[in-house]
Amino acid sequence: MTDVLLGILSGAAFGFVIQRVGATDPEEMALGHLMQDPRIPQFMLLAVLFSAIGLFSLQAAGGGNTLILPLTFGAILVGGVLFGIGWGMAGYCPGTCWAAVGEGRMDAVFALIGGLAGTAAFAHLHAWLIPAIHAPTNVGQLTLADLFGTPLVGLIVEAIFLLAAVWLIGKLWRHGESGAM
Amino acid sequence: MKPTNTDPKRWPVVPAAVALAGIIVFIFATYGPPASSSGFVTTLKGFFLEVAPKYAETNPHYSALPGPGSWLMGFVIGMAAGGFAAGITGGRKVRDVPEIWVRRFGKSRIKRYATTFAGGFLILFGARLAGGCTLGLFMSGSIQMALSGLLFGAVIFATAMLSARIVYGKTNGRKQ
Repeated sequence: MTDVLLGILSGAAFGFVIQRVGATDPEEMALGHLMQDPRIPQFMLLAVLFSAIGLFSLQAAGGGNTLILPLTFGAILVGGVLFGIGWGMAGYCPGTCWAAVGEGRMDAVFALIGGLAGTAAFAHLHAWLIPAIHAPTNVGQLTLADLFGTPLVGLIVEAIFLLAAVWLIGKLWRHGESGAM
Repeated sequence: MKPTNTDPKRWPVVPAAVALAGIIVFIFATYGPPASSSGFVTTLKGFFLEVAPKYAETNPHYSALPGPGSWLMGFVIGMAAGGFAAGITGGRKVRDVPEIWVRRFGKSRIKRYATTFAGGFLILFGARLAGGCTLGLFMSGSIQMALSGLLFGAVIFATAMLSARIVYGKTNGRKQ
């Protein structure tokens, strides 16, 4: 029961923040994808950066459980392309559509129902797709920490990469002034 | 050039990202496994456990996932509650069909709902195949410096940018 309450609390805070920044608005999401407004992509990348620093500190203090998903090229590429096509079409992610439903957006309700159908379809094909695409291209639970020897160096490399991406989005997206950088 | 977003009710990017990071680190500290929004799956498992228990128990996808009454389920219900609370206190009007969509395809709700349904289908099908979504694989993965999360992030951003360009065509989101 504690788990459910912690989930509700975490979800409510999460939903509140993403609504306030505008990530539940498919218009803002589309403007981000169309390089017309840098705010949402910058927000996502900076949230990753700050969280990575936070998690690193948490682990240094001996806390936090992690779960590294394997780098499995076939599944990530095929799954990522399907995901990206849908994201560009709808302007919703699996998470933002829940908060957008709460906010009262009717098109998000349909994205959510479509998501349920997509999950059911995948679950039905799971026994066939996972051995076909996922398993053969699985190279393991690799991280930047493995690649660069230590977690700290991995974090520094990732931070440089993320900050460069945030800066570049500010430069290349149309109204750079409204973003973070 | 003037900023596109002069709406004072929108939180600025940097403090909002700090706030979200605080929540994500809280999740890592309390729940344990990284956050994920695919609570969809747990609701579906609950559904199939009711109507077709044998299918739910033998299907490898459902049997590997937590059922209803899990952290994940709480998280997505919380997301909806948080969206609701922020929506009613934020004083912004929500639209069933975004303005950018109306400029390209008109006001038809049917077209928009059919597209978000199809988009939702592809998003979740792709997420289940890859092993997670924007939050569960890209964000949670990259936060742990996982190469899977970083690669997935690059693929979904690149594809979504291309897909949005095709969807919005010549108008490309600009006001006429």
